[in-house]
Amino acid sequence: MCGLNGIFAFHSASCLPSNAELLATRDAMRTRGPDGAGLWRSHDQRCALGHRRLSIIDLSERASQPMVSEDDRLVIVFNGEIYNYPQLRAELQTEGARFRTTSDTEVLLHLYARDGAEMVHRLRGMFAFAIWDDRKRGVFLARDPYGIKPLYTASDGWTFRFASQVKALLAGAQVSRDPEPAGVVGFHLFGCVPEPFTLYREIRALPAGHTQWVDGAGPREPKSFANIAAILAEGARNAAPDADLNATVRSGALDSVRAHLIADVEVGVFLSAGVDSGALLGLMRNAGQRDIRAITLAFEEFRGSPEDEAPLAARVAELYGAQHIIRRVSEREFREDIPAIFEAMDQPSIDGVNTWFVSKAAREAGLKVAISGLGGDELLAGYPSFVDIPRWRGRFGPLAKMPGLGRVSRALIGAFLPGFARSRPKALGLLEYANTWPGAYLLRRALFLPHELGQIMDTGLLREGLRRLNPLRYLERLVEPDPGSNVGRVCAFESAHYMRNQLLRDADWAGMAHSLEIRLPLVDVSLLRSLASSLPKLSSGAGKAALADAPSPPLPGEIVNRRKTGFGVPTGAWMDAAGRAPSGGDRAGAHKGAVSRRWSHVVLEALTSPSQAVAL
Amino acid sequence: MTAKLQMLALVTDAFGGSGGIAQYNRDFLGALTESGAVSSLAILPRHAPDRSVVPPGIRQSPARPGWINYALAALLRRWDRVDVVFCGHLYMAPLAVLVARQARAKLIVQMHGIEAFECPTRLRRAAVEAADLILCVSRYTRARVLSWATIAPERIVVLPNTVGECFTPGDGSRLRTEWGLDGKRVLLSVGRMDSRERYKGHDLVIKAIPELVANGHDVSYVILGGGDDQPRLEALASQAGVAGRVRFMGSAGQDTLVDAYRTADLFVMPSTGEGFGIVYLEAMASGSPALGLAVAGALDALADGELGMAVPEVEFAAALTHALDRPKPDPRALANAVRARFGRDSFTKGALAALDRVLEAA
Repeated sequence: MCGLNGIFAFHSASCLPSNAELLATRDAMRTRGPDGAGLWRSHDQRCALGHRRLSIIDLSERASQPMVSEDDRLVIVFNGEIYNYPQLRAELQTEGARFRTTSDTEVLLHLYARDGAEMVHRLRGMFAFAIWDDRKRGVFLARDPYGIKPLYTASDGWTFRFASQVKALLAGAQVSRDPEPAGVVGFHLFGCVPEPFTLYREIRALPAGHTQWVDGAGPREPKSFANIAAILAEGARNAAPDADLNATVRSGALDSVRAHLIADVEVGVFLSAGVDSGALLGLMRNAGQRDIRAITLAFEEFRGSPEDEAPLAARVAELYGAQHIIRRVSEREFREDIPAIFEAMDQPSIDGVNTWFVSKAAREAGLKVAISGLGGDELLAGYPSFVDIPRWRGRFGPLAKMPGLGRVSRALIGAFLPGFARSRPKALGLLEYANTWPGAYLLRRALFLPHELGQIMDTGLLREGLRRLNPLRYLERLVEPDPGSNVGRVCAFESAHYMRNQLLRDADWAGMAHSLEIRLPLVDVSLLRSLASSLPKLSSGAGKAALADAPSPPLPGEIVNRRKTGFGVPTGAWMDAAGRAPSGGDRAGAHKGAVSRRWSHVVLEALTSPSQAVAL
Repeated sequence: MTAKLQMLALVTDAFGGSGGIAQYNRDFLGALTESGAVSSLAILPRHAPDRSVVPPGIRQSPARPGWINYALAALLRRWDRVDVVFCGHLYMAPLAVLVARQARAKLIVQMHGIEAFECPTRLRRAAVEAADLILCVSRYTRARVLSWATIAPERIVVLPNTVGECFTPGDGSRLRTEWGLDGKRVLLSVGRMDSRERYKGHDLVIKAIPELVANGHDVSYVILGGGDDQPRLEALASQAGVAGRVRFMGSAGQDTLVDAYRTADLFVMPSTGEGFGIVYLEAMASGSPALGLAVAGALDALADGELGMAVPEVEFAAALTHALDRPKPDPRALANAVRARFGRDSFTKGALAALDRVLEAA
């Protein structure tokens, strides 16, 4: 887990990379890698790589980066973990590869030397890396299929730059800050910036599951090598209605947890009172981990109330023999941390605060690595969206197919029932969006609907942003090829939009701000493949029940039947309070959607004019 | 590289034309044919004042000045098999899309400068977005295109102008004597004085002259190029009390231009609207140091300050004084540095790489 960056002056007219820029970008990512830092330059000085290291596998100096292959041909900077590296290493050794370290980084070097760009198909894990190929005079970049690890690129036509964070690229002071209207509109629509866009036109995410090649002829368009929808579609073609769901989930999840435990440092776990993290803790025990520290976030406001997760989490910790650490957070600490949160937040996000605190707690406990249950709701149909979206499509889709009906009804309700229009803005969109899958999903996940944005954004920026983002087309691409079932479609949307752009990004910046690697056994392509054929027929609640049943002993019934709260219920109220102007304002009607909307303004303002954040 | 590649070029002008765009087209198309990458090239120009200069192996059709006439010629003529259509100007991009689709050919659209700085009509924007590859002369032009076109940034490639072989360091004393500039510190600008544009920055130089003189620099400011803004600039020089030091020498032929560059102590053009600024390169290739603003395409020609000086406008007057205080750099070293980045070899390499890129595009 680390921070990486690079500058490649690929054009014959460009200036050589400066050390000042390379260092400024690298060291803006100090918290991603506090254990070491390195630099490397090609012989002709045209390519320079930087790296900050958080040592987790092979803690020795030999494994530091940038790492150069024995023959000097290849140089790598890598952020992430390759969980199947022991198997790959053994395979490569059999073929004669000689290893100088026990790191997964060196495995990547040898694998590239053998397979070239095709290497990515062999990797299980979370990764973003860049390999300089001296023979071909170019850089090969890759990012994992789910997009757990970030990688941002910027090309001005002469020089190609990349880094693990948007803010790190900006810190180098050579990348344009011209705004990207699609990124701004995307944030208002979703509460996170949909990739590949960022808030800046020149900076783009290398899309999840893509590779990119850059040589003297410039950067090529990123190429897809893995696609969530395609894996789901493949599963639907081989649907296994009679398979034992519980057994499939058990073996798949245990296999994933086992793979995710590989490390030369202690691996802890985030533990809530929910199914996902509890099951993972049990599976960690089943996988053979003896000493486990489990971190639970709790809130002063809830102490002693049914909403307090700590007592139930303590029962789960006890069940699986984990050392339980309960970390209580108060509104005061939240307010004190806001400036640091905004500073760490790489791109605007309306979430991530809970991950910030649980990561902080893990780091306080001395952990470098923690397992998280993130991804369980996307994979096993745990969100209400798995029910809502198909239902909306069924009920309102036929009506919404009538041309113009949606807009007309919205205009009429806005004119005659303005109160309803204000309090239920999304209900107004049902007749406009429910006729397509992307439309129904937009309705489910939108912070603001497109027709509302005119009230909060400059019209020109909005028009251009909508044109460039094309939200419905953007969402449509996430379900291409068609995953073949309702569960599959929603799973693809939630995994490739919400989880990728919101949850995974939040886990990255909030974890990295505390130099903590968050590992996600439920966000694993091997696990997805093993479950894909079972998903089309998954009934409501069955997936989570199967996961609860996966560890031995299984999770107690009170966990399974508990109303879902997730981590951190009071943060919504805190955000609501912090998101209000100092003059106060109407506190009535502060439901979750309204809170998120207000909070989004605070976040965007803080991230686009940093001086504002401190004054909050 | 694909063998026997056939290309059709739709251009405003190329061989027999004048000006920067025609030069670029000649350089680009010449590089592709001379290297053998393109085996057959047909050019359809809108203007071609002098047809006698078309090199052997290139077919250039008679010029078609009118738009309708031109479009009909492009669409109705039965071209040989065409693999790649090169469109030399944004204004022709919609037509080029039709021709390329008809021929099932790849499409390259060339962007120069000011025409691409603001969002064009919807039709032209759609045409640009439909191209397989966009070539821009500078990073700035590329950034402007990306600001209005929804297109993968990887499909927009910078291929800078190249500097002509005739621009080399040498003795400029003959012209200096002829123009009565012996003993003077000579500042030189080359560019049109267009009253509708006024971005070349002549005003800034004229206004800076009194302070240069006060600091002991006996300067003359030579302006090459014509244009309807000259009377206003003459009046400005008079108002500033430097009319005798500002010399409007009109448009110059190539020989005079080379000598003018060679004789200049400093090429100075604080322009704010260059697509690229080929004149900075010509000056430096001829051995004259160059000063411009760190604005738009000039930054490319000045290589971010590594070849010439590129300063913010507020620092321009101070930078001008500073430049004259320093000794003139070694002309040969400067010329070599310019050729290393913007010489013919680099240009040919870039042109071939661009062709490869368009052919590898799915």
